[in-house]
Amino acid sequence: MDADTALPSPATKATTTEAPRPFSLAARAALATALVLAAFLGAIGLTLSKTNADSALNALQDRLENFVIAYIAGTDVGRYGRPLMPDATPDPRFSRPGSGLYAVVLGDHGFRWESSSAIGRDFSFLRPLQPGVRRFVGPVDTRMGRLYYYSYGVALDLPERKSVHLTFTVAQTEEQLASSNAVYRRSLIGWLSTLGVLLIVLQLLLLRWSLTPLRRVASDMSRVERGDSDHLDSQYPLELTGLTERINGFIDSEREQRTRYRNTLADLAHSLKTPLAVIRSQVESAAAERPQLRDALLDQVRRMDELVAYQLARAATSGRQTFAAAAVPLAGHAEDLVRSLEKVYAAKNVLCEFDIEDGAAFHGEQGDLLELMGNLLENAFKWANHHVLLVAKVQPQGGRPRPGLWLSVEDDGPGIPDDKIEKVLQRGVRGDERVQGHGIGLSIVQDIVRAYRGELVVDRSPEFGGARFSVQFPPD
Amino acid sequence: MRILLVEDEAPLRETLAARLKRDGFAVDAAQDGEEGLYMGREVPFDLAIIDLGLPKMSGMELIKALREAGQRYPILILTARGGWQDKVEGLKQGADDYLVKPFHVEELLARINALVRRASGWSKPVLACGPIKLDTTAQTVTVEGKPVDLTSYEYKVLEYLMLHAGELVSKADLTEHIYQQDFDRDSNVLEVFIGRLRRKLDPEAALKPIETVRGRGYRFAIPRNESDDD
Repeated sequence: MDADTALPSPATKATTTEAPRPFSLAARAALATALVLAAFLGAIGLTLSKTNADSALNALQDRLENFVIAYIAGTDVGRYGRPLMPDATPDPRFSRPGSGLYAVVLGDHGFRWESSSAIGRDFSFLRPLQPGVRRFVGPVDTRMGRLYYYSYGVALDLPERKSVHLTFTVAQTEEQLASSNAVYRRSLIGWLSTLGVLLIVLQLLLLRWSLTPLRRVASDMSRVERGDSDHLDSQYPLELTGLTERINGFIDSEREQRTRYRNTLADLAHSLKTPLAVIRSQVESAAAERPQLRDALLDQVRRMDELVAYQLARAATSGRQTFAAAAVPLAGHAEDLVRSLEKVYAAKNVLCEFDIEDGAAFHGEQGDLLELMGNLLENAFKWANHHVLLVAKVQPQGGRPRPGLWLSVEDDGPGIPDDKIEKVLQRGVRGDERVQGHGIGLSIVQDIVRAYRGELVVDRSPEFGGARFSVQFPPD
Repeated sequence: MRILLVEDEAPLRETLAARLKRDGFAVDAAQDGEEGLYMGREVPFDLAIIDLGLPKMSGMELIKALREAGQRYPILILTARGGWQDKVEGLKQGADDYLVKPFHVEELLARINALVRRASGWSKPVLACGPIKLDTTAQTVTVEGKPVDLTSYEYKVLEYLMLHAGELVSKADLTEHIYQQDFDRDSNVLEVFIGRLRRKLDPEAALKPIETVRGRGYRFAIPRNESDDD
């Protein structure tokens, strides 16, 4: 059932490759219902068919008894005590040979009468009974097949105060009983199976309905993952609220922790960099008479500054999060950044154009996006002659919960020679080895891109001829 | 050029103030946001340098309050955080430029000059009015290509007048923007400077660059020639 496929979580994704996935809840419930139903309906079927067989047997006994009584009633005793059998039969089958319904009468002195249907058939196994004794027997195996028979011993009174002893027997083959039982069983099985199927379908529908809240939790969860929603915020049944509230608490505490972490880092940056600023300004202003010491100190200050800036920026990069904050739309932030840079680089008169696709958004921390775009744009403003172009495109989701993003910043500056590109992108801060002019900004950009499993490519702008930095975040 | 410096770290504030004064700026230093706001509203500054991490009132709030109070002078942010969030926010609130700590003092001076110049409507670093050219980067003055030797104060007076070329600059304005507070405003030192400037720039009295508007102040009379001021 789709309840199963709608529960994508990293844990189950990981386990599918190693161990077979455990049965889904729906499958378990369906299996359990099917087993219970089979046992229950089976028992019902057995009971009903047993009861039916018993009552069919009773009915048979009654019917045979009635035939016997009909024969007894039609029998007279002639002179010399000879029994006179009736011409008419209680059922036409008694006159049709081999019909399966037979009547046999045994009397004293070897008297024996058989109905037309029994002619030529061997009823030698029948024994006479004492008057007043009745027996219902069956099934017995005979040459005619399995038989049920009803025998009744009677004494017919004669006028001379004598009596004639006769034993009336009516027998019927089992076929008729068996075939009526089989018909009953067939229709019973038919009805019970229909009932079973209906119950299973009903059960599956009920199951679907009762698993709906779980499916809603799963879909809310992926909304949170995509950043479309802050929390699991639908109404859930009582049994789930314990779980969903705890997940919400977890999301909150994760976010709080991240914010606290960032603030701590920012404070740390502040308290490290202000003393560096003091040292630098004092050394620059006051140590003119010892130029060697001054240069050495300033060099160390620069290295410390770059290390602090780079490592703190790196530590503050949060990277891909399971519970992303809401997706950050690019357009507004790009505009803010460009307004800022236009102010700062007012003297250069740079024209910055945008080509931002509707709905282009960054699935991550706003701070990371600002650092990424800010550093790329500032770099472009720094090197551009007059033009900077920012392009952003949405990448189709391709089945993943979050769509990808393609972002590029290009300028009409000198560009970066092919043999320098690698150096520009060199990881980490080794100030003396980095290409002059591309500050730690690009190292920070690279770290952010890596933290979000993206890719940074540097090439030449096809339109302006300057450098082009393209960042690609795959759908995630 | 009068500068408001708001920085809570005393050693940095003092070093910067001393350096700026040495370069001919008049500096008023404040150590927290509230003091900065009080000064920033009262004194007609040419520029403010504001640290973002200030006690009592944050730099961001200070910038906002100054702009809301109608102060139009350029504001340069000093920030230790260096994150774009802070920079963008500061520039949105009304700041014009930023420097990330630790910065080079030379870089700060260059930014100050550029901001002041831009605020007066000059887009290039060389202010040119007729044959008189003042290079704000090198801090040199030439008349018809020949260098003119000026003292630091004379240069500042000329720079201020040329930045506001065509506008009336009162004596009080000039004193306030050039000198520290303790300067004796009643003395005629300013007239002496103007007289010396006129003689150095225009020995033959042919250009008459600085006009005296009786009872009101001075005006730099030669119009700007933006077209050839490269």
